[in-house]
Amino acid sequence: MIDMQGVGVVYPDGTRALAGIDLHIDRGEFAFIVGASGSGKTTLLQLIYRELVPTEGRVLIAGQDVASLPRSRVPQLRRKVGVVFQDFRLLPDKNVWENIAFALDVVGASRKEKYRKVPLSLELVGLIDKEQSLPHELSGGEQQRVCIARALVNSPAILLADEPTGNLDPDISWEIVQLLSSISERGTTVAVATHDRYIVDGLRKRVVSLVGGTMVRDDREGGGYDEP
Amino acid sequence: MLEFLLQQAWQAIRRNGLVSLAASTNMTVALTILGAFFLATINLHHMAEIEARKAIITVDLLDDADAGKVETQLLADQRVDQTQFVPKEQALKDTCARFGFSIELLKGLEEESPYENPLPNAIAIRVKDPQDIPAVATAAGKLDGVKKVRYRKQITDKLLTLAHGIKVSGLVMAAVMGLATLLLVSTTIRLTIYARRREIRIMQLVGATNWFIRLPFILEGAFHGVVGGVLASILLLASYTYVQGYVGENLAFIGLVFGARPLVLFGVATVACGTVFGVAGSWVGVRGYLRAV
Repeated sequence: MIDMQGVGVVYPDGTRALAGIDLHIDRGEFAFIVGASGSGKTTLLQLIYRELVPTEGRVLIAGQDVASLPRSRVPQLRRKVGVVFQDFRLLPDKNVWENIAFALDVVGASRKEKYRKVPLSLELVGLIDKEQSLPHELSGGEQQRVCIARALVNSPAILLADEPTGNLDPDISWEIVQLLSSISERGTTVAVATHDRYIVDGLRKRVVSLVGGTMVRDDREGGGYDEP
Repeated sequence: MLEFLLQQAWQAIRRNGLVSLAASTNMTVALTILGAFFLATINLHHMAEIEARKAIITVDLLDDADAGKVETQLLADQRVDQTQFVPKEQALKDTCARFGFSIELLKGLEEESPYENPLPNAIAIRVKDPQDIPAVATAAGKLDGVKKVRYRKQITDKLLTLAHGIKVSGLVMAAVMGLATLLLVSTTIRLTIYARRREIRIMQLVGATNWFIRLPFILEGAFHGVVGGVLASILLLASYTYVQGYVGENLAFIGLVFGARPLVLFGVATVACGTVFGVAGSWVGVRGYLRAV
């Protein structure tokens, strides 16, 4: 599903963010991308939803080379890739239902589709009773669930999460990461960038470790944050 | 889908009330200035043309000339609107009338001594476009049987130069004002875009096409254009009607362009102009922003 071959990224100011990344993540797989701040985790995810194109090497998403993707086709790619952020990025003046429906609206979904898909998505993240709430009325964990529901409502093949638990208490973090894990079990490829040792050690899934923009470890068997 | 786009645009207009107000006001002011200039231009041009059209070319004929033949030749010229043969007796009468002589006095003179009318037979020419007066006059001078061609050269030339100058400067001013309006609108749209950057970011992330993101802003620009256009045409038409009334009463010799048809047309054109400016301005603003993202 995600295939990176010799990928390197150098920013216009000359800073090198990634070098020599060879990474393959299968359909339905769950992978943690771990590393300290500035190790290149976010850059790696940005390559997948084509916020960035690689300076070197190739990034293939479902067999499609993202660098050769014309600008006009980028939206089509983004519909296949859901993204969740640390800071949630919900629209403050729309309620939960509307926030999720927004993702359907902007891809031109019909009213019928919205009424079918939004409740499904809400149910998946366990927020069906909060659909009328505004974001500021929700806890951090609930807001992150709304984000996940929004990312999933278009049934993407890939779900990316960039520090999804960065603003959450450990208990809530654990719930969120379990939710992400259950989503991967339904066939969605999930990649989670994090430096949250607690959730990585707890879940024991694949761990890709970055240091200074290079991959130092790829533990496919389900390791901890530091050690296999 | 269309419902969503319209809703987006309307929400943006309402939510950023102050900015929207500024945009519509800007548009109104710009269109009012533009429209006022346009009205002034067409009226000045109209007046200049009326004055110029009054200008007549007088072709004095030789005594033995065949007036009919000359007239036919003159009429063959496409630029000539109409001609009128003025016999020397008529010319004398006109001259006497102009200077306040009595024609009887002249008749009396004639009885005493053999008097000869010193004025020649003449043909008066009106041309279709006052611009052609000098050329037609030159051409007429070359015809057989023509003694002399006269027209009020200086006045006509000055009027024509004035009319032309007004037209050109009006166009230049309109272009400058138009550009300013465009920049104004695009800046306003940029402000709204800035106010909604969070939504745009999310739209991009969940895979909205650029078109889909742009359209509400284009609609918003069109809205400001329409509002500005309607307000500007109300302002302009009201004040123009007032000015026309005043001129009609006090300066009746000035003929303003007036009437239901041209005024309605002018109003419609102002609104259309506003819409075009609004759309073009927001297009510029949106393009600049989305490329930067």
